[in-house]
Amino acid sequence: MTRAEREETTVLVIDDEPPIRLLCRVNLEAEGMQVLEAADGTAGLGAARSAIPDVILLDVMMPGLDGWQVAEELLGDERTKAIPIVFLTARAELRGRARDLDAAGIGCLTKPFDPLELAPLVRGLLDRAARGEHGALRREKLAELRGWLGS
Amino acid sequence: MSTGTASVVSSGGPLVLAGCHLAVAAALVPGRLWGRAKARWLEREDALLRAAEAVAGELERERLLQRVVEQAAALLRAEAADCYLLDRARGVLRCAAVHGLDPALVGRAVEAAAGAAGAAVERGRPVPAAAYAEVAGRVPHAAYRGFRRALVAPLAWGGEVRGVLAAGTRDAGRSFDRADLELLEAFAGVAALALRNAELLAERTRQARAARAFAQVSALLAEPLSPEETFAAAARAAAGALAGDFAAVVGEGAAGPGVLGGYALPPAVRELGPPRALVEALVASPVVAVRRARDDGRLDPVWRRGPFASLLAIRVEEGRSAVVVFFRAERAFGAEELELARHVARATSAALERSRAFESERAARSLSQRLAAAAGALAAARDPTAVLDAAAEQARLLVGADTASVATLARGELVVGAAAGAGGDALVGARCPPTGSAAGDVVQLRAPVVLEDAGDDRPAEPDPVLAAGQRAYVGVPLAAPGGEPHGVLAVSCAAPRRWREEEVEALAALAAHASVALAGAELYQRLALEHEQNAAILSNVADGIVAVGRDGRVVVWNAAAERITGVPATEALGHPPSEVLRRELESERGGANRLVAIARGGEEVWLSLSETVMRDPAGAVAGRIFAFRDISAERIVDRMKSDFVSTVSQELRRPLTSIYGFAATLLRRDIGFSAEERETFLGYIASESERLTEIVDALLDVARLESGTLELELVPTDVGEVLREAASDEGAPALANGHRFAVEIEDDVPPVRADPAKLRQVVGRLVENAVKFSPAGSLVRLEARARPDAVEITVADEGSGIPEAQLERIFAKFWRGSDTAPGTGLGLFIAQGLVSAMGGTIRVASAEGAGSRFTFALPVADGSRRS
Repeated sequence: MTRAEREETTVLVIDDEPPIRLLCRVNLEAEGMQVLEAADGTAGLGAARSAIPDVILLDVMMPGLDGWQVAEELLGDERTKAIPIVFLTARAELRGRARDLDAAGIGCLTKPFDPLELAPLVRGLLDRAARGEHGALRREKLAELRGWLGS
Repeated sequence: MSTGTASVVSSGGPLVLAGCHLAVAAALVPGRLWGRAKARWLEREDALLRAAEAVAGELERERLLQRVVEQAAALLRAEAADCYLLDRARGVLRCAAVHGLDPALVGRAVEAAAGAAGAAVERGRPVPAAAYAEVAGRVPHAAYRGFRRALVAPLAWGGEVRGVLAAGTRDAGRSFDRADLELLEAFAGVAALALRNAELLAERTRQARAARAFAQVSALLAEPLSPEETFAAAARAAAGALAGDFAAVVGEGAAGPGVLGGYALPPAVRELGPPRALVEALVASPVVAVRRARDDGRLDPVWRRGPFASLLAIRVEEGRSAVVVFFRAERAFGAEELELARHVARATSAALERSRAFESERAARSLSQRLAAAAGALAAARDPTAVLDAAAEQARLLVGADTASVATLARGELVVGAAAGAGGDALVGARCPPTGSAAGDVVQLRAPVVLEDAGDDRPAEPDPVLAAGQRAYVGVPLAAPGGEPHGVLAVSCAAPRRWREEEVEALAALAAHASVALAGAELYQRLALEHEQNAAILSNVADGIVAVGRDGRVVVWNAAAERITGVPATEALGHPPSEVLRRELESERGGANRLVAIARGGEEVWLSLSETVMRDPAGAVAGRIFAFRDISAERIVDRMKSDFVSTVSQELRRPLTSIYGFAATLLRRDIGFSAEERETFLGYIASESERLTEIVDALLDVARLESGTLELELVPTDVGEVLREAASDEGAPALANGHRFAVEIEDDVPPVRADPAKLRQVVGRLVENAVKFSPAGSLVRLEARARPDAVEITVADEGSGIPEAQLERIFAKFWRGSDTAPGTGLGLFIAQGLVSAMGGTIRVASAEGAGSRFTFALPVADGSRRS
């Protein structure tokens, strides 16, 4: 992992809880990534559209626009539709189920998570998303994920 | 000549006869004698004509005889005349009429061969007893003493001498000549003809009477009359046939031997009692003729003193009964009467036999009709007591008994359970030993016991029916359904009575009906009870119970089914469940606890349904029973529980993420954190741990609120202080994103009666809620306002607001705006619970997009009220 690599990757963290945002920032910055923060869905969408981050860490459970709605918006926007998304969720049901999502540029992290896993997850997702398909598959996988989470 | 004349003239009458005499006399008397003799002859002939006319008009025998002797005396100018008639059977002449003599002579008999009369009879010609003295020594009666001369002429008709007519005189100067003799002979001829006519008339009258009597008897045969009517009619016919004054039929009646029926019968005769001696005499002879009742040994002494002189008793029905014809005047009975009596006997026997047959048939028919009616009445009785009552009443009606009772076996005793008729009420409850009593015998023998007369002197009678003074008794056994003895059905009469075999049989049949009805009633009662119990169970059971019959239509729809489905039984019964509920209940495999959703109005109701298939003995489906519970609420609770577990685990995971994350971060050796950074991380670990504790506390609060074990310490509390603290940097929720807080406390807000810690919690939860659902940097207002007796505290935000449809549900446990809304869904629930526990109320005003205002009121602390 080189400094050059670090500067290349920008991660947007959208979460209504400041400590979670801070946790992500500290650990990703330690891996040389640039971290942007948004405290709610609306702010997150604005940041995503203006900054076009490489990866978005998106909290599912938020007041106002929730994570699903934000993801819909992102996928509906030409500028943001290809950005890989890592969902942060407290729903334990997801463990062991979320497979083949990364090909569609979708990652999933269940709280609580090991902060050391954040950077490898982001990096791995970027690698596979580059090879994988986007568009229809993303929507499909997103719907699949949402189904598992029962919302 | 005269006798010849009499034989020639067989008909025509006395006047013709007299005319003949005149013509014949005119032709025969020689002309030379005509002059002197003519006057005397004419005189005599004229007298004879008058006498003939006098007797010719009389047809009644007794009066005729009397007139004959009167005319004979006048004709012969004699002072006395008499008439004797021959009784050939006895060989006597019996005085029939007298004139100028002692009337007591009438009826006296003399030897037929005696004296002048005997001679006249023997010779068939008139006899002059010119020298009556010749026979004076043989004067038949003192009344004839002193007679000097007499003339006796035979009375003959039908070719034989029937008696004599005599005239006599005590006058010594009076002599009878030949002309007198001829005159008497001529008049005797006229009298004989008149007597013959009278006799013919009497005979014809008798024949007519007999014919009428037989016609009456025949009419009896033709008409179905009751025995009573037949007895009366037979008596009338017999009296008519035999010219009796009154008549009776005697024999064995229902109450023993006695008068069965009568015609014109004086009450005195009825009171004579049974004619036992006469009945015995009739055993030996079919007809008993009693001429002088007063001294006839064939009659009982009381009968000898009866209001009649003679009687004729005729055996009928082979001695079963007898017809007795009574005569007030003494009466002799000839062969003719006896023959007539035999006719009467035959006709009466036939009529009575027919009547008895008819009566027995009628009685049998009536019995069977009554039995059928009784069986109907028994079948209609629905409980055992009613069956016993009906059995007693019907038994009484069936045989026309005075009293009827039913005793049943209970603990080795017969106990009268029902009774009808006279004295019936007193019998109910009476006990009877199972042996040594009439009813006991019925049970022991399992057969009817029949008593016609139990007597009237029965001290220590064990049977309650007989002990009550009843004399005639029939008891028939009542059988239990298994055939074992169950009791006794008894009928009784106060007076002795004959019980006909059919009656006993009918009672036995009634008892059999009663046994069946009793078994039926017991079964019915048991079923009714079971049905009632079932109905009670069905209506009280919490589960819906629905049964459908073979045709798939609802036959049972209990109260719970009504409640759960919202369909009343009246609308469900008779329709298939698919029609009633708009969905099938039955499944191919049946089974238990299937989950089925139905619509109740606009609401979806979840049923846990069990199904049982009923099969008939042949194995075909006879119906189905569905039992179901409404588990909608349970499903909601289950779902809420599951949501709660999921929500709580998420809520617990959020602070854990920070705690775990910062702890792991701090452990990273590849990064060198500044002291400030470490402090921030540890601060989060601490605050998030606190948040974790708060969540656990909130859960405990919920548990305490729900179980009512929340402990409060209500003290006067300053609201302003609490609000200011909540809005301070230290108090504001960790997740506040640059929210601004404004606190507005009215000047005169008094302290409230509250638990300060709980009040802080309420305010904290409302502020947290406001922060959570309003944009970063927006304003959160905390206000306190004094109201009479209360202080209102408001937390208002500038957030998204709450849709109107959700307003009334926001205080519900586990309610969250959406699945992705953060939080346990317990905050507002707990806030409301705490406010309520402190005696306050909470409300919310909100409009979508215009923020929310949560306001709660708490009572002013004691002694702090505004005046």
